[in-house]
Amino acid sequence: MGWDYSEKTKQLFMDAVHGKPGTHMGEIEDPDGFGEHGSIACGDALRFTFRVRRHPTDPLQDVITEARYLTFGCTSAIAASEALCRLIEEGGFTPVQALGVTNADIVKYLDGLPEQKIHCSVMGAEALEAAVFNWATKRGADLGALGLGAHADEKEDGRIVCNCFTLSEPYIKRKIRELGLKTIPEITGAIKAGGACMSCHHVPGGLQDLLDEAWGRRPTRLRAEPDAPAPREGGTETPVPVSPFLFSKKVERTIDEYIRPLLQRDGGDLELVDIKDMLVYCRLTGACAGCGGAGFTMKLTVEQVLKDTIDPRIRVISV
Amino acid sequence: MNPESPSTIYLDNNATTAVAPEVLEAMLPFLTTEYFNPSSVYERAKPAAQAVRRARETVAAFLGGAALEEVLFTSCATESVNATLHGAVRANPGRRHLVTTAVEHPAVYEVAKDLARGGFDVEFLPVDRAGRCDPRTLARALRPGETLLVAVMHANNETGVVFPVADLARLTKETDPSILFFTDATQTAGKVPLDMNGALREVDLLAFSGHKLYAPKGVGVLFARRGARLRPFLVGGHQESGRRAGTENVPYIAGLARACRLAQEDHDAVEARIRRLRDRLETGLRAAIPFVEVNGEGAERLPNTLNLSAHFIEGEGMLYELNDHGICASSGSACTSGSLEPSHVLRAMRVPFTAMHGSIRFSLGRYNTEAEIERVIEVFPGIVASLRRLSPYWDPAQNRPRPEAEAMMHAPPDAVG
Repeated sequence: MGWDYSEKTKQLFMDAVHGKPGTHMGEIEDPDGFGEHGSIACGDALRFTFRVRRHPTDPLQDVITEARYLTFGCTSAIAASEALCRLIEEGGFTPVQALGVTNADIVKYLDGLPEQKIHCSVMGAEALEAAVFNWATKRGADLGALGLGAHADEKEDGRIVCNCFTLSEPYIKRKIRELGLKTIPEITGAIKAGGACMSCHHVPGGLQDLLDEAWGRRPTRLRAEPDAPAPREGGTETPVPVSPFLFSKKVERTIDEYIRPLLQRDGGDLELVDIKDMLVYCRLTGACAGCGGAGFTMKLTVEQVLKDTIDPRIRVISV
Repeated sequence: MNPESPSTIYLDNNATTAVAPEVLEAMLPFLTTEYFNPSSVYERAKPAAQAVRRARETVAAFLGGAALEEVLFTSCATESVNATLHGAVRANPGRRHLVTTAVEHPAVYEVAKDLARGGFDVEFLPVDRAGRCDPRTLARALRPGETLLVAVMHANNETGVVFPVADLARLTKETDPSILFFTDATQTAGKVPLDMNGALREVDLLAFSGHKLYAPKGVGVLFARRGARLRPFLVGGHQESGRRAGTENVPYIAGLARACRLAQEDHDAVEARIRRLRDRLETGLRAAIPFVEVNGEGAERLPNTLNLSAHFIEGEGMLYELNDHGICASSGSACTSGSLEPSHVLRAMRVPFTAMHGSIRFSLGRYNTEAEIERVIEVFPGIVASLRRLSPYWDPAQNRPRPEAEAMMHAPPDAVG
């Protein structure tokens, strides 16, 4: 299949798509916690919801009893979502304890993921985190007092480093540290940054710079300097007697005054596509377009009239 | 694999084809008793040399009566493409402008991008929503006296959209006869006639490989018209008149020639049958699946290819479930490519981003049966439905997208980061 998935990953995916009892596909109505991560444009997206058994007095002692997901994504994104819900429900966690579930736990639950697919587990952990902060807002739980800050704004704030996936400098920096990412392929595997056009890899302020900033610059760094483009050869074409501007005007005028009326008599018309030196590119339209004599019309009518009125070197090319 | 359907339903013939029994049979002598090097002088090597010569005659006839020296055997279409582009660059140092399309196979696309990185001026012609190339864009891109080569594929491997290469080649040659015109015919060889003295008489260079027309992987052809200036790509021997060094791959060359004959022997009957099966698959799936697009609809398409996009789901999951039913197909989704981006072809066609990741390609071949197609029609709609049940953008109760998701369906792909 291109990717090598563990038996566990395959099993969770097949269970999920077949809606086996005990799987967690779905969305809890009026949930206690709601979090999303990803977007359809980026290729995967996860909506994670949970319900808690509320503690009568202390929200921090709420316990998560039910977790559900809806996922747009590949085999491993769906399996990772399923794994996340199982980990959360099996753990009997409070929401704050649930924050301790990391993407590494999801990877472990799946018996490993290919490096390029690590982002599927990161997506699960991010949606979980968003859902816990959502719960805290709803329940009035003060996470700040516990030293837990929301990262909600950092994706919008700060300079965008990876334009393809709209990922900002503060977010990428935090993920480099949190996940211990040491190379650009590791960054791409975990959070997708730099995985599409790759233009943010080795530019000032790009991924390599953020890595160097986090872990220190590596002593040797080879940098390829692309060859400077060779200068264009000087033009060898025969000079046009009039300026290209006036020449074009003449061609247009001749077409309008002499050629169009001829063609329009037969229900046809002519589109002037381009002019390069003495080459005039035209397209027959209307009744002329499908006509068997289109080739003759071009040569005998259009080209001949232009040659006679403007310059004998003109060649008409049918487009 | 599902025990109920143990046999394989192979619908990925644009990726590779099975080796035809007739082809294998033609190859076997040269893998056993006739193992000799065709360049050797002794009598025992004659049959090998003769096989290569006959194969060249067959392929030349397959190409509408090309001259023998215009047919070069290579190891694959990718080699033929590299030999063309790099060979043309090195033989014509005065010209540094190249025109190709935004939807070429990576064999051309990546080489062109590499040349651009090396300072070449490369223009990628856009395609429209149906995957078609407007000849007017080529007319405007050509630079008389400056353009080295135009490379336009004969048919697209992902969508099956056929390009008007005969017309584009004429346009090129009328602009400046020194501009080389190259076409990658990998997907059309065996399906569409390649008449280098007829419709394609203005095409200078053409490449195809054996393994898309029932010969094995590891053999390809480069047609290089007499007078087309190329420097050899592989140097190190006198083979192929010094234009492609390396001992001839005699069994594979014999197999390729047999495959070319096979394609011609029953072309019309096979094509009619494949087209009927493909059309049946297309109608069957469209009737059973809501919110699905046929990529390339409205354009002339190869009769064997069906590229569909199901909105709001991802292609890899579909392939995985199809695999469970023993059905082989492919997808242009990001998760099935090496990169994180979906197919450059679908992006160039501006497929809506809600459908971009949910593409699937079924490509039929001469060995597919009606029962296989019916099986796919039976199974695939359920697979789409199972993934949509999981999708945050789908409302399974109404069996349609959620209202806010449906509103995104018509946004152009670049409207969203």
